[in-house]
Amino acid sequence: MTLHVAPSAAAVSPAVVVTNLRRAYGHRVVIENLNLRIERGEFVALLGESGCGKTTLLRALAGLDPIDGGRIAAPRRPAVVFQEHRLLPWDSLWRNVSLGLQAGNARERAAAALAEVGLGDRLDDWPRNLSGGQAQRVALARALVQEPELLLLDEPFAALDALTRIRMHDLVRELVTTHRPGVLLVTHDVDEAIALADRILVMREGRIAFVYRTDGRGKTSIARTELLTELGVSAVHPIPARIF
Amino acid sequence: MSNLEQTASPVAYDAEPRGDTTATYLPRRRLEIGRRGLQLLSWLAPAILLVVWELLAQGGWLSPQVLPAPSKVIKTAFKLTTSGSLLNDLGVSLLRAVAGFAIGGAVGFTLGILVGFSRIAEAAIDRSVQMIRAIPFLALLPLVIVWLGVGEAEKIFLVALGVTFPIYINTNLGIRQVDPKLIELGRIQGLGTLKLIRRIVLPGALPSILTGVRYALATAWLALVVAETIGAQSGIGFLAMDAREFLRTDVIVLTIVIYALIGVAADGIARFLERRLLAWHPNYGGAR
Repeated sequence: MTLHVAPSAAAVSPAVVVTNLRRAYGHRVVIENLNLRIERGEFVALLGESGCGKTTLLRALAGLDPIDGGRIAAPRRPAVVFQEHRLLPWDSLWRNVSLGLQAGNARERAAAALAEVGLGDRLDDWPRNLSGGQAQRVALARALVQEPELLLLDEPFAALDALTRIRMHDLVRELVTTHRPGVLLVTHDVDEAIALADRILVMREGRIAFVYRTDGRGKTSIARTELLTELGVSAVHPIPARIF
Repeated sequence: MSNLEQTASPVAYDAEPRGDTTATYLPRRRLEIGRRGLQLLSWLAPAILLVVWELLAQGGWLSPQVLPAPSKVIKTAFKLTTSGSLLNDLGVSLLRAVAGFAIGGAVGFTLGILVGFSRIAEAAIDRSVQMIRAIPFLALLPLVIVWLGVGEAEKIFLVALGVTFPIYINTNLGIRQVDPKLIELGRIQGLGTLKLIRRIVLPGALPSILTGVRYALATAWLALVVAETIGAQSGIGFLAMDAREFLRTDVIVLTIVIYALIGVAADGIARFLERRLLAWHPNYGGAR
């Protein structure tokens, strides 16, 4: 078991505490000495080049892979939204959302969750009748209906078109404000990280190499330049011309 | 006319209505007629064949001992039905098929699930099953007769044998083809093993399992025909072999037609199951 259930002692209960995490595939060390603490209600984005270990970290937090050292302390099993929606094609939307809920008021809870993501009128529809963005909204509903203390997002918007992605950002921000789970968002997209996160981590060679706090607004251009530099994009690209 | 053609500017030429414009519509019309025509032709051909057969038989060119007239076959069907023996034999045959299918299906499904889920079961069972499968199951008939005689047990056993393998292979295959990402998701949602099987593995394997059912129906029928041809005291096959003794080709043809009809019905049942159970599947369901 990678998840050790520990009662939260502190006044602010953390959604997850990672201590000295180590993960290796054979001789190749992917994560070394990684420490991370995410509070409930805090939105953390994790940036990094492909192969830097960010997905490995997320899978370890989700309890999908074993860990080779250190400790992950989470009060409850986290919920995960992947890049693919992973809806069961043979189940209606409400059955998908209520997957893993104890029986009883499962349908009502699924209905409430679907209404929250704007699909309250599609309870009995099939997943194949959904667009990519809608399917991802159902996946979000399925994650949040479990009332998780930690929500893991593994590039959930990467496959969506630009407009849908912006709408999803708004929806996620809204849902996180309502439910207040701790969130870890793994992404390639610097702008997405800036738009959503309270804290942005840049991961490099299995460690957290850089931390950026986005306190309030107005500093996004600096954040962007700084983060891109940390990610090894040497030439400072100008911000796309402002339309608004 | 020829003068006009010579003096027309390119624009005027383009705008000019011409006699050959219908040519652009021709392929489409031909397709429309063709589709309906082909449909008609596909039913017309067997109908003509039946009529020719009937005429040849009526005219005496076709000996009734070679091939009886279709009308004679229908009359025989009516006679045998009212006398009661046909329905009885049909019932006996169907019972054998159902019993064999149930036994073979249960064995194949159970083994398929075991091997699909457990590496240990796979190592222990799969190779043996694959080796037995390499034998055409009808080749086992003499051995089966030695073991079980020519009674009901032999017939049901042969049907069960023919059914077991297609069900086993397709169940096993279906389980293997379930998307591991969905199984991972089930774990994340906190499903236990039993719930994981019920909610994710079996529904995911169902298209393949139903394909197995369709194959199994075909082999079950084949097995039954062969089993009933040898030493049966009742059933459709018995009816055919009994008729052979008396050169009653009308009865023989009737049994062949009955076998064909039941085969079609079995396939229809399999299709119906696919439409109902796989309504979610874009390749099967169709309806929302």
